[in-house]
Amino acid sequence: MAKIAYYPGCALNERSSHLDRSARDATVRLGFELDELDTWTCCGAVPPVSEERVMNLVAPSRILKDVRDSGRDILITICDFCYNTLKRTNFIIKSDEITRKRVNAFLADDTPERDYLEKDDSLWEDYAGEVNVIHLMEYLRDELGYEKITESLKRSLKGLKIAPYYGCVMLRPQNEIQLDNPENPSIIEDFITALDAKPVKYPYRTECCGSYLSVSSPDASTRLCYRILTSARNSGADAVVVSCPLCFYNLDSRQKAITEAYSDFKPVPIFYFTQLLSVALGVEYGRQGFEKHYVDVTPVLDKIGISTGKGGEE
Amino acid sequence: MTEPSETTADLLVPIFFMGKRYEVPASLTIQKALEYAGYQHIRGCGCRGGVCGACGTVFRTPDSYKLQVGLACQTVVQPGMHLMIMPFYPGNRSSFDIEEMNGTGGELAALYPEIFKCIGCNACSQGCPMDIDVMHYMAQAIRGDIAGAAETSFDCIMCGLCASRCPAEEVQFNVAILARRLHARHIILRAEHLHERVKQIDSGKFEEPLRDLMSKSTEELKELYKSRESEPQMAEEDWTPADARYV
Repeated sequence: MAKIAYYPGCALNERSSHLDRSARDATVRLGFELDELDTWTCCGAVPPVSEERVMNLVAPSRILKDVRDSGRDILITICDFCYNTLKRTNFIIKSDEITRKRVNAFLADDTPERDYLEKDDSLWEDYAGEVNVIHLMEYLRDELGYEKITESLKRSLKGLKIAPYYGCVMLRPQNEIQLDNPENPSIIEDFITALDAKPVKYPYRTECCGSYLSVSSPDASTRLCYRILTSARNSGADAVVVSCPLCFYNLDSRQKAITEAYSDFKPVPIFYFTQLLSVALGVEYGRQGFEKHYVDVTPVLDKIGISTGKGGEE
Repeated sequence: MTEPSETTADLLVPIFFMGKRYEVPASLTIQKALEYAGYQHIRGCGCRGGVCGACGTVFRTPDSYKLQVGLACQTVVQPGMHLMIMPFYPGNRSSFDIEEMNGTGGELAALYPEIFKCIGCNACSQGCPMDIDVMHYMAQAIRGDIAGAAETSFDCIMCGLCASRCPAEEVQFNVAILARRLHARHIILRAEHLHERVKQIDSGKFEEPLRDLMSKSTEELKELYKSRESEPQMAEEDWTPADARYV
């Protein structure tokens, strides 16, 4: 089975390990394996946003260089923040020669026997942006093809109305990410369609959920999430699907605070895109970690008849 | 009568300790060279065998701008080196009751929240005299992988040189020892045979043979020692001694 270099990211390691598991389960059923890097650090989550142009690019550049040095040229992530960070870092390394040299001069210190400044004849090779950073959904769309998913479906999600949620970092900035039109995207809608479910259009799908404001100004995030979820619900969605662990955390866990703050609010179940994919490909729903969700997803599973009687692997 | 041949041990080389020049034999370790020069190590001496971490040393040599690290008891002097021994590096240390913890990454993060300041510069790994991949065990700690952090940091000798290099003011060595303690207490399987044996000891199973031994004369003890039964070199797995009462 083809192995593709895979960067899980910190969020998916412990607390949200069920999301990582669903991605691995699903991809194996689609004929390729997510091959986790031997060693990896945090990507930094926000470095390219900062004006600083060296230290905060060192960690993500090292991750990408390790992939290149292992002889591979594709790196898959399933987290929007890691995707954004790694891809934008790669863009800067490729397009800004001075930054590339400074970052590489720093990275060269990782090799103790190599002195970047004094021994230019050694085997060191600057990392120059050779690795292509790919979101798993992008890989499914462009490399595998959504039609291959449809062919491999073991369970039909027919009858489910799912609201895609893009958030802010999956698509922006467009000139660097180039995944889809950031104002009128369709990559998640097409993904939902490939699973035989129906995508719901609603106006807040590319609005921010509050991101890290969840820590410093939780009320602001509560308000934003309320708007997004109510908009999706009013447009007829049974559930919302996301592709970022932080969006997932905000939109799911924050519904407790939303319920307390807004009397008209009705909870909306949240799925990670890999969970829907894994369920549709026939992986038992007991492996999805649904018990970790704040909002119960059982009503949605009931609707397609898999939480009652047909929960086992098909 | 022949002249004593000149060995490398006879060569004197200059080293600089705290900026002062000393001529020391070229074959000595930093620790012995300083004793040769007249210093007496009271602190920062430790085991002299490369495992206790008390003699972490930073130095520079004339041929490079790079800061280097080593253990004074293991590193041989180099001509012209400037060095300083760092027997102790101040690092904050959280207090905890291991019995009240569960071995989760969240607990580690609660005791050392500054781990999330790590920027992945790798200065800590470069500053480690034990060649431990410090940055990556910190990465494992950050993502809550206690078992991983415990295994990657296993050779740590707590010298603190990692912390001395850190721009994020981390205390890597203290984070690591907490990870290893959580791992040992809450994650890996307990060695049941050890607990069985401790119970046997507590129940007094070995009291009588010990008293018996203590009552014997030196001659009798020597005789017992000489006639003891040893496990044969190529013994089968199920080999047991003739007297298996206390096995």
